[in-house]
Amino acid sequence: MSKLKDCQCKKESKEEKFLRIEKIIDDHKGKEGSLIQILHLSQGIYGYLPLELQKFISLKADIPLSEISGIVTFYSFFSTEPRGEYTISVCLGTACYVRGGKKIIDKLTELLEINVGSTTSDGKFTLEVVRCIGACGLAPAIKINDEVLKQVNPDKLKKILEKYY
Amino acid sequence: MDYNITEIGKLKEIKDNYLDKMNNYKYKILVCSGAGCISSNCHEVKNVLLEALEKNNLKEKVYTIETGCIGTCDIGPVIVINPEGVFYTNVSSEDVYKIVEEHLVKGNIIKEKTYFDIKSRKNIPYLKDIPYFAQQVKIALKNCGNIDYSSLEEYISVDGYLAIANVLNNDSQEDVINKIKNSGLRGRGGAGFPVGIKWEAGMKAKSDQKYIVCNADEGDPGAFMDRSILEGDPHNIIEGMMIGGYSIGASKGYVYIRAEYPLAVERLGLAIDKARNSGILGNNIFGSSFSFDLEIRIGAGAFVCGEETALMASVEGKRGEPKQKPPFPFQKGLFEKPTIINNVESFANIVPIILNGSDWFSQYGTKKSKGTKVFALAGDIVNTGIVEIPMGVTLGEVIFNIGGGIPKGKHFKAAQTGGPSGGCITKEYLNTPIDYDSLTKLGAIMGSGGLISMDEDTCMVDMARFFMEFVQEESCGKCVPCRLGTKRMLEILERITKGEGKIGDIELLEELGSMIKETAVCGLGQTAPNPVLSTIKYFREEYEEHIINNHCDAGVCSEMFLSPCQNACPADVNVPGYISLIAAGRVRDAYNLIRKDNPFPAICGRVCTHPCESKCRRMQLDESLSIVNLKRYAADYILKSEEPYMDLVFPKKGKKVAIVGAGPSGLTCAYYLARLGYEVDVYEEQPIAGGVLAFGIPEYRLPKDILAKEIKLIENVGVKIHLNIEVGKDIQFEELKNDYNSIYIATGTQFSRKINIPGEDLSNVYYGLDFLKDVNINGDFKLKGTVAVIGGGSTAMDAARVAVRLGADKVIVLYRRNLEDMPADVIEIKEGIEEGITIHTMVSPTQFIGEEKLEEIECVDMKLSDFGSDGRRKTIPIKGSEFKIKVDMVIPAVSQYSDLPFIDKNEVETTRWGTFVTSKDTLMTNIEGVFAGGDVARGSDVVITAIADGKNAARAIDKYLGGNGILNTGEEIEIPKTSEESDILEHERFSMKYLDPEDRKKCFGEVALGFHKLNAIAESMRCLRCDRRS
Repeated sequence: MSKLKDCQCKKESKEEKFLRIEKIIDDHKGKEGSLIQILHLSQGIYGYLPLELQKFISLKADIPLSEISGIVTFYSFFSTEPRGEYTISVCLGTACYVRGGKKIIDKLTELLEINVGSTTSDGKFTLEVVRCIGACGLAPAIKINDEVLKQVNPDKLKKILEKYY
Repeated sequence: MDYNITEIGKLKEIKDNYLDKMNNYKYKILVCSGAGCISSNCHEVKNVLLEALEKNNLKEKVYTIETGCIGTCDIGPVIVINPEGVFYTNVSSEDVYKIVEEHLVKGNIIKEKTYFDIKSRKNIPYLKDIPYFAQQVKIALKNCGNIDYSSLEEYISVDGYLAIANVLNNDSQEDVINKIKNSGLRGRGGAGFPVGIKWEAGMKAKSDQKYIVCNADEGDPGAFMDRSILEGDPHNIIEGMMIGGYSIGASKGYVYIRAEYPLAVERLGLAIDKARNSGILGNNIFGSSFSFDLEIRIGAGAFVCGEETALMASVEGKRGEPKQKPPFPFQKGLFEKPTIINNVESFANIVPIILNGSDWFSQYGTKKSKGTKVFALAGDIVNTGIVEIPMGVTLGEVIFNIGGGIPKGKHFKAAQTGGPSGGCITKEYLNTPIDYDSLTKLGAIMGSGGLISMDEDTCMVDMARFFMEFVQEESCGKCVPCRLGTKRMLEILERITKGEGKIGDIELLEELGSMIKETAVCGLGQTAPNPVLSTIKYFREEYEEHIINNHCDAGVCSEMFLSPCQNACPADVNVPGYISLIAAGRVRDAYNLIRKDNPFPAICGRVCTHPCESKCRRMQLDESLSIVNLKRYAADYILKSEEPYMDLVFPKKGKKVAIVGAGPSGLTCAYYLARLGYEVDVYEEQPIAGGVLAFGIPEYRLPKDILAKEIKLIENVGVKIHLNIEVGKDIQFEELKNDYNSIYIATGTQFSRKINIPGEDLSNVYYGLDFLKDVNINGDFKLKGTVAVIGGGSTAMDAARVAVRLGADKVIVLYRRNLEDMPADVIEIKEGIEEGITIHTMVSPTQFIGEEKLEEIECVDMKLSDFGSDGRRKTIPIKGSEFKIKVDMVIPAVSQYSDLPFIDKNEVETTRWGTFVTSKDTLMTNIEGVFAGGDVARGSDVVITAIADGKNAARAIDKYLGGNGILNTGEEIEIPKTSEESDILEHERFSMKYLDPEDRKKCFGEVALGFHKLNAIAESMRCLRCDRRS
């Protein structure tokens, strides 16, 4: 199984990325029902799934654009907007909620000056809410990209964010 | 190295080789790399460990593996040293060297780094002795945390793949299905459908192609069992699915894993590759005609995909929208072919059943729910993590024994099971055995196994709103009831939590809820209203409190209050306001601000139980503010200054109010009524005003001159206190009714309750409150010998500490529960012990023995039994454990009650506890114009609630007498803005001086000496100013 998130290497040009995506589509030809996997991998390469890319996948995989768009908008993992360098996912599963996840969101929206679902103007952070990352034993937890931070204290968030600049 | 495993004998060969290899090692170290430990950096620990082993030349002697989740997620990184089974927790890189050099080289266990049991406050080195593990039975988790999840050899060494090999060699499809049927295994995904019956349907379905699917879309927030199994024992799931595939006749399986679990995807993916490369997956498995392969499909973040028909749509690469059933998946499932879907934990039980037999499995559990259940314990609970318990264990045992109870001394409120499809179980039901049917009966469900414990700080309305928001967002939108219904329910709940609820909202929620349940297409919609309906069922009052009084007792719905501390104060004192005034040096304003809501700042600064502090947000950072001591500081500062103090009083209204009882409640009511311009007379039977403050609370906690000063301020606004006048004797109640426009009764609970054991009539049996009263009012008497106090509340501790001061040689307190259950304030208990008091817990007196005069107490040891309706464990006597203690005096102080001798019992409505029945909103009794509050209406309670009642009664009486119910609290006081302080520095409470225990034993001088000005200002600056929200 390939990794969900590919190298975040920025030097690769758009064309090169599209080429890699085309290869993935070719690899999945003939495999039943693999559109979601293709989209996962494409998002891993391109960072998000803009209409242009959806059209490209539609063309190469011979799947109607409406079907692709239907799937992209149905599942919360897919994004049609560019993402920040770091995605901060605040868990609002029950355990994290009970242990004060909401206060983390309040503090982060204050510190980053953005709302949930948006990206900071410098392209550094995207703030989002997730529904349980299965780290309930570590509540309240947040994820910055793939790193899980446990028992996060809202009053220490400022220090945590500073590490990423 | 890849094997070529084509026959069963090969398994034995691999196992033997592996075990031989292990025999060369002296130690095997398990490093937990479950998700919890990874986030605590277990990989670094492992690297340092390898390095340390290398340096100590132990590489040949010590074998190190990474395992899946051991189950204790919040104390990671954890490691286990086998064969001894020593369990080290919170292991840092520095610890690793110590463990290697001390434990592995010298053989000395480093006890202080082993598991710390919070309950017994001891380190427990061996896994087998730790209560958290000792009460578990591991079937589905048998390998999880015990083996290297990435090693095929290790899996085979614990008889891995032996079950499928045996099945393929010996069993028909029917044989396997019968074994599963006989075991009684029910689906562990939540609904509990018998697995064997499902498989039988799959087997009987006719088709050229069938599928078996593992549902690993563990979407319920609060559940992480499946994740742990996949990450810790992936081969077990592969093997379970192979057995399932064989029995139904499927050659292909899919594992649908949610995208939030990349580690599970990675580890299962590697395991599948290994199995495939070794010939375990593929064609002609173990030389049979059975061929099988597995593929992983990753979800993309849609909760509804846990529903089987939606899941199959998603596996097919489509939008995960559910379909109408029938046709059921076993008829027409994935790609239109017969399909059997089970969840991860169900598959994890298959191999153990096949290896050990159906009877072995069905010995665990209850009649209708066999085996064990894995739970993910989370929320407000000491031990969070993964546990596996036999079905039928009670909820209380899981929360309090295995889970270790509720942290920070808070009280258990409810447990939530089944996530957004489930419901809550309250403290009244802690004795409920956990199995499918018992939980369903309570309106909760077993669910997939998330068990969230919630303490008193959880608002159930907000919890319901949270789940409704979740399902509303996750509703796929296909059917109208779910799409619109959940939206409507959410809107109503949001309104209620914002303080905009309307009468009728609860009924509307119930109506919508039952409609959605009946008409939604899939399981998500049909169960979506459950959390709301269940919280309404058990916490209707909390909903009403939000809607009618705009109050959220838990302090969660922040739009209804200024700050959590003020919200927690029964008298609604503006805590952040006066604290910021102290910080600004405006102490007089601080004192006046408190007096707007509470006329007794100096007294409450000493004796209040300070519910405000238990909600202080600062606790999350370091320690709550010392609010009560700051209040005392402000009050003492003002009372010491000789400046004249004058409250603004409104012109006389020409109406009279009589108040019976000059305790905190009566005087508070009198104060606020007098300021409004009423003529107020307070009647008190004792020779001193203050009620329980004067005769119940000892001098060393509340000096008489402080009390007198604050009562004087009340008299200054025109209140007349008539001492030594007993209503019913010196003045008749009827007279009061005729002479006054209204009456407020606040006589408290002044009579000590008997214990009801033989010998209570002996001399030297002296009841708690009588004892304190006699000491406080009549003063001057001496004790000697041994004094025993019975009880655990504050009267008991007061009596015991007074006995010490009166010269008793030995003072013991006998209490029938554990120390942490004692209702007395922890400070009281701590100070009492410092003064030499011995507390015997878990004992109860059975009789007082003596001729005329008491000589001995016979006691019996108590043990814990099941849970009482208050959520605390009951205690019962241990037969034959009776023992005697020689004593010279006993002070029973178990509880108090009120008696209302001056009112005709036929005239007034009382409860069976003898307290007044009053209207919740107006505090009026059933006698027109007669109000009651404080302990006489609510039973024994604390000073601050009595004050709150007095204030509310003043409002209600004013309204009753034609006023608008708005109190006269003087001029507005401007509260300082927050400074633009950037960083919050961690700092515990600033210290206060106390009298030395040896000195204070000999006198009644005040124990706590109060803040120094500098410390008071520093302490007040710790306030996070939760009241100032942007």
